[in-house]
Amino acid sequence: MPKKDVSFSRRTFLGGSALALASGTISMPFVRTARAQAATFKAGVITSLSGENISGGNLTKNGYDLWAEAANEKGGVEVGGERFMVEMFYGDDQSNPATGADAAERLIVQNEVDFLLGPYTSGSTIAVQPICQKYQVPMISGSAESPNVWLAKPEFNFGIIPSVDTTSGQSLGVLAALSNPKAKTIAVIGVNEPFSKETGEGFQRGAKEAGLEVVAYELVPASGDLTPVMSKIAALNPDIVAVGGHEEPLINVIKTSKSLNYRPKALIMHYGVTNPAFAEALGADANGTSGVAVWLPTVPYKDDLFGTAQDYVARAQAKFGHEPDYTEAACSASGLVFADAAKRLGKKPSLTPEDRVALKDAIADTDITTFYGPIKFEKEGDHYHDNIQPVPVVIQIQDGKTVAVGPKEAAAAEFIYPLPSWK
Amino acid sequence: MDLFLQTLLNGLLIGGVIATFSIAFQLTFGVLHVIDFAVGAWVVLGGYLAYYMAAFLGIDGFLVMPMAFVLFGAIGYLMGPMIYNVRNSRTARPELMALALTFGIFTLLRGGMLTVWGFNTHSVPTALSGHSIMIGPVTVPLIRVAAASFAVLIAGGLFFFLFRTRYGLAIRATAENRQNAALMGVNIRRLSANVYGLYAGITAMSGVLMGGIYSVNPEIGLRYTLFAFFVAVLAGLGSLGGALVAALLLGVIEAFVATYGGASYSHLAIFATLFLVLLVSPRGILRRGL
Repeated sequence: MPKKDVSFSRRTFLGGSALALASGTISMPFVRTARAQAATFKAGVITSLSGENISGGNLTKNGYDLWAEAANEKGGVEVGGERFMVEMFYGDDQSNPATGADAAERLIVQNEVDFLLGPYTSGSTIAVQPICQKYQVPMISGSAESPNVWLAKPEFNFGIIPSVDTTSGQSLGVLAALSNPKAKTIAVIGVNEPFSKETGEGFQRGAKEAGLEVVAYELVPASGDLTPVMSKIAALNPDIVAVGGHEEPLINVIKTSKSLNYRPKALIMHYGVTNPAFAEALGADANGTSGVAVWLPTVPYKDDLFGTAQDYVARAQAKFGHEPDYTEAACSASGLVFADAAKRLGKKPSLTPEDRVALKDAIADTDITTFYGPIKFEKEGDHYHDNIQPVPVVIQIQDGKTVAVGPKEAAAAEFIYPLPSWK
Repeated sequence: MDLFLQTLLNGLLIGGVIATFSIAFQLTFGVLHVIDFAVGAWVVLGGYLAYYMAAFLGIDGFLVMPMAFVLFGAIGYLMGPMIYNVRNSRTARPELMALALTFGIFTLLRGGMLTVWGFNTHSVPTALSGHSIMIGPVTVPLIRVAAASFAVLIAGGLFFFLFRTRYGLAIRATAENRQNAALMGVNIRRLSANVYGLYAGITAMSGVLMGGIYSVNPEIGLRYTLFAFFVAVLAGLGSLGGALVAALLLGVIEAFVATYGGASYSHLAIFATLFLVLLVSPRGILRRGL
């Protein structure tokens, strides 16, 4: 069979190249004009899209994207009767705060974003704050939970999730009120690393406010064995044991307490309990464990864009294939805060530097209710610019499922107290 | 008094648990002269094997242990020559090259596990998990007793193997002087591969127990590497008997400091002990290390 000649002649090649080049140069101005005509609000998302926090980073991205998608379905964000589409730009902090600061600078300088949507970790958030201050660009954080984020009174940063020292403390008041016979004593364990230690301190303060006597406060190294601490606590026999830590130490707390055949009347943990992997790893042993969440799919709130919390859950479920957790919800709510502030401000995109400062002031005056709950930022004190409105919901794992047990108006099931012994 | 007895038992059992993955680590150092940073990764791999066997086939952790030994023993045997070659290469500072190599293996395995299995924490179910018996006022967690017994068994087995068999003699000869052993007809290269395989197999078996006692995720390997290293320093590098004694000592220190001083000081106490031992007896507590 004769071989087919597929080679180009020199003439075809040159002609083709010239045509390609010409079409490229000619079409470019049209593209530019098209973009210039349809002004958009540019949102810059900085979060962990690689590295050890990749999963949490993607939760935040999911939440922010869901808002942009919902807003654009309606034609965009409304300003002065007109609607403007939202355009998303992403910066990866690679799970490293310093890289997060670089990414923020790039989003502001190169992509000329109008506002930022904040990182997954509190560490990155703190690193990005000075960049926001330097370029006077507001940032709405849908994930950061450490109280240290707000202690420095960041002028341009706003947080949707109440800082962990308020939620962990308040949850003990709820727990104490639910307990019958009423709990009197508590032991607090905190893993010795920033977030968990702050949670532990929050529990300690909350215990005093709830009238509980703190019989032990133990900071354990992340890589330490928990048997000595659990034996010590078992000897003191408090009614409640509260633990601040991430998923893995929480799992170890339960395994250790079971291996020592010690079970307090109530066991409460912050963070990780709502993650399905927690109940999966422990099986039936996870049942009875309590936790804290600032938002649950069952809350009774609604807004114009997402509808009810249940509508939001259905939308997220359809897009991501899982029930959204409170971080995803808070990130979506961050977009609602921007849309509300932009509408009140009445400035069309793209925003000038003066507009962005005015936008920051408009965000500070936010007072809205969304599917996530009420949002209003503190204007002074240790939680400056944090939204501490949401009341933490105490949840308990019952039959492998996370259910709200308190406060009473949010409860979907009876609180199991005291917990039965392991045997 | 009850708490004192419980703390003593807790400490001895923590020591037993640490010893499970520290003893074979010592053997590798003694024979191959390599500080194997990958030890934590072998522990975690053993844990993952047990987790998947339990999750998909319903096989109990204790039954997975022989499987882990065979599988990771074979993988270790295949990797042994590579480590041997790097350790005995003609480049400058081959001992540092070997250290960097095992660190690289550790990082690769950790990253690989993170990519393939994700970041969620799992637990290995075993027949003894969560069970305990009461002896007087003291609660005895059975799975930890099993781990400590495993450590004693491994130590005893290795002693018998090294001091009562011909092959053990060859291993000891190699550890003492590689060149002379080679001149006596020992195939050093194959022996090194066997020792690395034996070590990887034992360490993966201990990983099954770690998954039962604690939990499994790709990030916790470093913790085991550090503890194996602490034990090695305290025991004197290469000393097998020292490893058992050192692990028990570390466990008891951790338990007493955590119970009577405060858990946040337990690692401080461990480091202080290491520091003192290095100062007073650099060849380890039994003065038998290299």
